Amino acid sequence: MTAPDFVAETPPVSARRRATLYGVVAFSGFVVLIGLLQQLAPGGFDISRLTGGVITFDTMVRIGILTTVVVGLNLLMGYAGQVSLGQAAFFGIGAYVSAILTTRADVLGIGAGLANQWWWPWLLIVGGMALAGGVAYLVGRPILKLHGHYLAMATLGLGIIIVIVFRENFGYSLGSRNITGGFDGLYGVPRLRIGSFDLWPVERYYYLVWLVAIVGIVLALNLVRSRSGRALRALHGNELAAETLGIDTARFKVRVLVISAMYASLAGSLFAHFRVAVSPGPFGFAASLELVVMAAVGGMASVWGAPFGVAAVLVVRELLRTHLGSLVGEAGGQQEVVAFGLMLVLIMIFMPEGVIARLKQATRRWRSE
Amino acid sequence: MKEAKRQAKGHRWWRLGLLTVVMLLVVAACGDDDAGTTTTAAEETTTTAAEETTTTAASATTEAPPVEGTAYKIGFVASETGPGSGLGVPEANTARMLAEQWAGGVTGPDGVHHSVEVIILDDESNADNGAALVTRLIEEDQVDVLVAGTLSGNALAMAPIAEEAMIAMISMASSRGIIESEGQTRPWLFKTPQDNQHSAAWQAEYLNSLGVTSVCYLYENGAYGQDTLNSAKQFFEPAGITIAFEGSFERTDTEFPIMTGAQASGCGAVVVGSIPPGSSSVTQAAREFLPDLPIIGGHGSCNSQYISLAPDAVEGTVLPCGKLLFADTLPDSDPQKANLLQYIADYTAFTGGEPISTFGGHAWDALMWAGEALSSLEENADLDARRAAIRDYVETEITDWPGTGGVFNISADDHLGLDYTGLGFVKVQDGGYINFPSSDW
Amino acid sequence: MLALIEKRTSRLALKAAGVLLVVAVIWLLGSRQNFGLQQYGQLVVAGIGTGAVYALVALGFVMVFTVTGIINFAQGAFVMLGALFTVTLYETPFTGEGRTGLIISALLAVVLTTVIGVVVERLTILPARNADPLTLIIITVGVYIAIQGLALIYWGHAGRTLPSFTTATGSDSIFRPWGLVIKAQTLWVLATMVLAFAVLSLFLDKTMLGKALRACSVNRDASRLMGINPSRMSAIAFGIAAALGAVAGIVLAPLTKPVYDMGLTIGLKGFVAAAMGGLISLPAAVGGGLLLGLVENLAAGVTKAGLRDVFAFIVLIAVLLRGRSRAGRFQ
Repeated sequence: MTAPDFVAETPPVSARRRATLYGVVAFSGFVVLIGLLQQLAPGGFDISRLTGGVITFDTMVRIGILTTVVVGLNLLMGYAGQVSLGQAAFFGIGAYVSAILTTRADVLGIGAGLANQWWWPWLLIVGGMALAGGVAYLVGRPILKLHGHYLAMATLGLGIIIVIVFRENFGYSLGSRNITGGFDGLYGVPRLRIGSFDLWPVERYYYLVWLVAIVGIVLALNLVRSRSGRALRALHGNELAAETLGIDTARFKVRVLVISAMYASLAGSLFAHFRVAVSPGPFGFAASLELVVMAAVGGMASVWGAPFGVAAVLVVRELLRTHLGSLVGEAGGQQEVVAFGLMLVLIMIFMPEGVIARLKQATRRWRSE
Repeated sequence: MKEAKRQAKGHRWWRLGLLTVVMLLVVAACGDDDAGTTTTAAEETTTTAAEETTTTAASATTEAPPVEGTAYKIGFVASETGPGSGLGVPEANTARMLAEQWAGGVTGPDGVHHSVEVIILDDESNADNGAALVTRLIEEDQVDVLVAGTLSGNALAMAPIAEEAMIAMISMASSRGIIESEGQTRPWLFKTPQDNQHSAAWQAEYLNSLGVTSVCYLYENGAYGQDTLNSAKQFFEPAGITIAFEGSFERTDTEFPIMTGAQASGCGAVVVGSIPPGSSSVTQAAREFLPDLPIIGGHGSCNSQYISLAPDAVEGTVLPCGKLLFADTLPDSDPQKANLLQYIADYTAFTGGEPISTFGGHAWDALMWAGEALSSLEENADLDARRAAIRDYVETEITDWPGTGGVFNISADDHLGLDYTGLGFVKVQDGGYINFPSSDW
Repeated sequence: MLALIEKRTSRLALKAAGVLLVVAVIWLLGSRQNFGLQQYGQLVVAGIGTGAVYALVALGFVMVFTVTGIINFAQGAFVMLGALFTVTLYETPFTGEGRTGLIISALLAVVLTTVIGVVVERLTILPARNADPLTLIIITVGVYIAIQGLALIYWGHAGRTLPSFTTATGSDSIFRPWGLVIKAQTLWVLATMVLAFAVLSLFLDKTMLGKALRACSVNRDASRLMGINPSRMSAIAFGIAAALGAVAGIVLAPLTKPVYDMGLTIGLKGFVAAAMGGLISLPAAVGGGLLLGLVENLAAGVTKAGLRDVFAFIVLIAVLLRGRSRAGRFQ
């Protein structure tokens, strides 16, 4: 067990606040810079050309969306010491709530007067978060009283059940069109807008996605440094000790699970409005595993690990897709998969604390020199 | 303690080296394995295409002064890995084959020569990947036309992106929803595989000829299986056939609890809506539980795997299939015959004897439309105009077009352009498919 | 005291009510399809057949988890390797024809998979042995992805076939007592599972090595003090798990069409079966496997196969919620 070593090196509060502020500002600056490059740069110095086509702007948006999911997962894994093997299903709840209640509004008897309002999809985003949080609460409350890997198993089951509900369409169909679209899913989800201002093309949507991600990171950092955050860390370090200190561990764990589910659902809604089509595929067990992998690669015990973990996984995959061919002569999709698996093993062996911990080490070394 | 740690660290690096070597060896070995047979990387294909183009252009200089126009790009996405790989691999092979054949480029009606590049990508049977790849092809690679989507779910996720970018997308997946939305044709979308309704029409006719009025419908729990069931419901009832029992199963099932319900329902025939390996397994189970009933398959089973996985069980089953499977027995008058034989010969030569499947045929039809549309274009540097022109060409000019899936007649109202006679009807006999026309029923 | 008794009886009543409710629901759903005893019998037969496979895979999960604390997601890969190695070896002329060929291929496949299991442990788990259990779990995910990818390259995407053990041909011999359909291969699966369970239990109970493994699972540091090398035990546990997985794959192969990605589903189900038993008890894992198989098949029989996993996981969550934390290991 490698518990995060917060206690060992805790700088004074004010210094820490300042460091966080710098971090957020620098990160936001970086995000805005990439957005501006995409929009303004003459002759095109956009992210895609700068990286030789490895990271496209589309990938940047996806990183933003998944970062929001993984921030929540990091809270759960790194700070509450619990694994969720069904996080993609919470992601899916957001996506499906947004997609169903916009594209199937007429079937469900929701008047066009309501469904065509610009704020309707925004309301659904909140609704999706409430639903996901509620489901997480109902499942988490009894399960989290138990110790060990039980939450992992329960979320695994929950995730699979939710995806079956998506693809089996609740077992019903309304008229000629069924509600969830079955295996084919739904398409025609409207783009988000504020009043009459469309948050599309993608250059605009990018800012929304990253705004959400960065606000998510800031809120998570606040949570981690609050009283509850300290309780959570105590809980990860030693649950029994935490309990003797009077911390209601089960309640805290449930709370984190609910928060992480809400993060996932929020991102899911953004995903639905980004791709404008949803199908059950991206929310299954494999996707949940991938989210766990992203969280682990970035560093579970670090909120900042989320964007780096997501980026690392997506970029490595793109790199393999585009460059493995020139490395070994010939490669199809099959070799990529093998290489991806091996990379994952290597990263976990040599950077068990995640990419962000290595980055921190490196900067510390650089500073001390 | 520190000493021990350092030692452990040394240990680790030694292991890293070993693992890297193993990894490289493995990857290299696999690369060798595949060389010249089935898999060629997208990069490989494209460089070959580019090189060949330059050489062609160079050699042409000596004869007539060529005018070199805009380079054309076709974006191709198939599911080469994951659950769709059984369909996606022959599709991608076909794309690589055509990329090689088109390496010399095309010359437009105005005499301007264009290189043609086919960018082949794998969506790993994942809808989100598919959407990302299509976005990439449209925005980064600036392709002229898309041939994309092995699985219906993936194609449906890609479709809105193509519509928004106003680029023609020809799908290799079969769901009707790809080309139609609430009864309206989606203007930028086309598809080449036959509808499941076509299969259902054949099945209903055959069941009528047997005099069976009640069937057990067994379908794979997936987009394809569900769609076949819906099509069957649409066509069986008007033909006076009731579905006495419907049961679904998973591709990897070992036991088939649905057989219990099928037995209890007392139906007169079994209809299967699945792709191999599921269709082979379920046919085997149907033979064990309902040994006396005729078994009818759907066109998702039209490849050699269906037979090779359960040769005894599938013997004697009948199913509607694309004519690709029995091309050599077609009469010479058949308009498709020449193209079918050509494709079979090319594909077999290119892949070194991989079995023919109708899925590769769907890719061939789609790519040939794209290729034909490209060679019809006049020189035009405006990408949006080219994309629109390609869409118009496919919608208006693909008429009486003999492909592998049937004779296509695309119109503004029908972006598939086939009726159910695009399929033939076959019987499995002596471990192969034989033509089984309605006159023999 | 009285309160305790009262609590116990009320819990028992609750349990009984739960079971009755399930039976009633199944009966009700079944009656819509005119199910009689014969139909239920058939579903139970199918359930035991499926459950025996899950039980075999679950035993592998339990082996690795108790000794190392790792949920080994690569377990499904061992099942796939066992099945596909056997198919390939059987197809080579070197192993001979017919039943002897089958036996030789199966044995070789088990050996090969076991070696791979040990190698995987040495190359990936050993170098990270001091890491968080979660990190180790993710490593096994990576191993699974890599092995499945290699299998896709080597075997391709097409399904394969293995002849059934009894007839050594594609079509199995079938017993039809009281109108039921029982495949000989299903009996092979069941017998193999019982045998594997018995051998494993005896091994852990009676041999020195088995005792060392158990010691390791109870307290790693204490067993190290007693001269047991936990690292070696970990490798042995992986080897045994791989062998169990391979055996499961082999007996399963004639019933399905082995394919490179069969490991994910079967691994997941094996894990669920093991989880039902708390991941630490061999008999409970077997029980969990059989229960899972029965639930799945009964549910699929009376409703839709698509909804099968819903019932399976509801049962899992119900079993988890029973919430008794089991103290002992290898009970």
